[in-house]
Amino acid sequence: MSSPGLGTVTRRAAIGALAAAGVGFAVFGPRGAKERPGGRLVLDYWEKWTGHEGRAMQRVVDDFNRSQDRIFVRYLATSGIDQKAMVAIAGGDPPDIVGLWNFNVPGYAESNALIPLDDLAPRFGVRRENYAGGIRPLMSHRGRLWAVVNTAGTVALYYNRSLFREAGLDPDRAPRTIEELDTCDKALTRAGRGGQLERAGFLHTEPGWWSWIWGYSFGGRLYDQDSERSLVDSPQNVGAYEWVQSCTKRLGVEPLKRFMSTFGNYDSPLNPFLAGKVAMAVQGPWLANVVNAFKPDLDYGVTPFPVAADLYDPAAPVGLIDTDVLMIPRGAPHPEASMEFIAHTQRQDVVEFLATAHCKISPLATASEEFLSHHPNRGIRVHTAIASSPRSFLCPTTRTWLQFKEEFDAAAENIWTLHSPAATELSRLQARTQALLDGAADHRRRRAALAEGRA
Amino acid sequence: MSGAQPSLPARSDRRAALRRDLTGLLWVSPWLTGFLAFMLVPIAMSLYYSCTDYNLLEAPLWVGAANYKRMLGDEVFGLVLKNTAIYALFSIPLCTVLALAIAALLNGRVRFRAAFRAAVFVPSLVPLAATAMVWMWLFNGEYGLINLALSLVGVRGPNWLMDAQWVMPALVLMSLWGVGQAMVTYLAALQDVPRSLYEAAALDGMGPLGRFWHVTLPMISPVILFNVITMTIATVQVFAVPYVLSKAAPGGPDREMYFYTMYMYDNAFVFGQLGYASAMAWVQLLLILALTGLMFLVSRRVVYYRAG
Repeated sequence: MSSPGLGTVTRRAAIGALAAAGVGFAVFGPRGAKERPGGRLVLDYWEKWTGHEGRAMQRVVDDFNRSQDRIFVRYLATSGIDQKAMVAIAGGDPPDIVGLWNFNVPGYAESNALIPLDDLAPRFGVRRENYAGGIRPLMSHRGRLWAVVNTAGTVALYYNRSLFREAGLDPDRAPRTIEELDTCDKALTRAGRGGQLERAGFLHTEPGWWSWIWGYSFGGRLYDQDSERSLVDSPQNVGAYEWVQSCTKRLGVEPLKRFMSTFGNYDSPLNPFLAGKVAMAVQGPWLANVVNAFKPDLDYGVTPFPVAADLYDPAAPVGLIDTDVLMIPRGAPHPEASMEFIAHTQRQDVVEFLATAHCKISPLATASEEFLSHHPNRGIRVHTAIASSPRSFLCPTTRTWLQFKEEFDAAAENIWTLHSPAATELSRLQARTQALLDGAADHRRRRAALAEGRA
Repeated sequence: MSGAQPSLPARSDRRAALRRDLTGLLWVSPWLTGFLAFMLVPIAMSLYYSCTDYNLLEAPLWVGAANYKRMLGDEVFGLVLKNTAIYALFSIPLCTVLALAIAALLNGRVRFRAAFRAAVFVPSLVPLAATAMVWMWLFNGEYGLINLALSLVGVRGPNWLMDAQWVMPALVLMSLWGVGQAMVTYLAALQDVPRSLYEAAALDGMGPLGRFWHVTLPMISPVILFNVITMTIATVQVFAVPYVLSKAAPGGPDREMYFYTMYMYDNAFVFGQLGYASAMAWVQLLLILALTGLMFLVSRRVVYYRAG
């Protein structure tokens, strides 16, 4: 047998090299963070926030970790959290606590991807009645409690008081009705020498995050949960989107699009509201963070979004509620400890600290005067009042919401660009969204039949 | 005993061959394990999921061919298929012609040839998300450099990314950004064409165009085929640039830059319809296979393979 020549790898050498690589990987390779000493139970908390919002939540977590010596919560900021949480739960290795959005609740709840909190939450002092009236419904789905709210926002009309003064409008008398909004819009809109838009009074497409909300200001709704019917082509909604079209007709599609292409990002000094290109815009309380960062001297006012004249009631403003929720995924091994942490985040002082840092409202039924008076958003009382209003609204509580919204966005674009009459477009949308809802109902029936069969 | 004698060497040969095979398999086992775990098994599972109602969070429920039938009546599916087909129809020929033209130019004696080659190739190394952001501003209707250039010659440029009619041309133009990779392969192929053929063609009185048509193109036709096939596969799966643009340019046309893979992704990870998304993935695979097969069929007539 000849000896191996130079450059020939023997089997023994190769296996040895592989084994050495394996040992090296085991000794020096990547590994998870060390468990905290002292025999504390370690909980993993996945949340969507990074940057200053993440740091504020980390402070809440640190505060909890210091407050007792049995549980240690690890905060993990996760991008694409709804998708990763879905994969982790499906894979049987979920985090102990996951922070998602309220629109995730129906889908996760119907898929049994969460641990119901009906029994668990009250034992730690977390009850529905602790929360503002408009917040309570989003914590439950089909009669069961699934989620707890950690931060919340409501959507209102922001207006530039300086531009109001410049246009001869009273900055202390914000528009209350759609007619008044139109009057202000016309007074604030300014065209340049070449006829191109220089400033818009109000644009439905700015920031373009909620193309589906206008019908609520006319008394409409999008969905009836009891009958699982889509209501997008109701007369109120048609009226609302005809109003949207009337604004485009006044300014022209092409000039509007050219004007919109000059807008910068939301989180920048080129935000059109900050830059004075749009005098009135719908936004949440978090806008104040952007104002304070890039244009702290901006003189702005906040008011509930105007409604049709016959709906105006200062005691019952109309507005969307959007929230971040905490949930315990199915398969999480320590639900009691997880709930203990969640309960900590629901203490009024903790809620108000986080809401101040994130520039949001408190989801609780009562907010302290200190919170309201020191909040970075001067319109926080307006946003807070919307959360308690009987006419505040949530996105439709159906598992198909994201697809429903996608369809709505496409239809809304056809409407504001005057591709088709609002009534025609909404009628088509009605059929498409109803098909989605029927599909979801069918899915639920099949699952229920399967579960009964197994039982 | 005498009958067993001849079989002894054969058995030991078989044993040695088996040993060799096992050794070989052992050496490729890391790849095999990875292929089985991360490719073959998921592919097989996606075929199964395509026949189920599956949202990842619940156990898949068998629905037979329902997901495939659903595509026939799905308006959005038809739209994304149409958008993808139009994009591919314009992008692939344009990229091919441009890459070939640049390669032919840079194959000649040009000053700073290496610098030009690098300049054409480097853009294809830029991450797609960054490319999309750069192009978003280049195509801006008011501040974009493209419209600025057009205004210098008296043309008022369109509002590229906000106008439904101009979104597709803008995306096709953007796809030209990545011609560098194809250009490099064409350049290598061009350098491989024997000089003697050009000399013979010149002796026969052929001009530069004739030489390109009758010598260059046939000689590099296998490389053209390869590039067209890989481009087709990539184009049918176009995702990153339109996805980033549709998120970063609010107010733009909602569905004019909605492509097949984007809809598939949304179905899988946004709408929670993994069964339907899996069916879409299989249809996409079949489409790519059919297109590739068609190209191979056509190539029999138009592609020239040198002997040896």
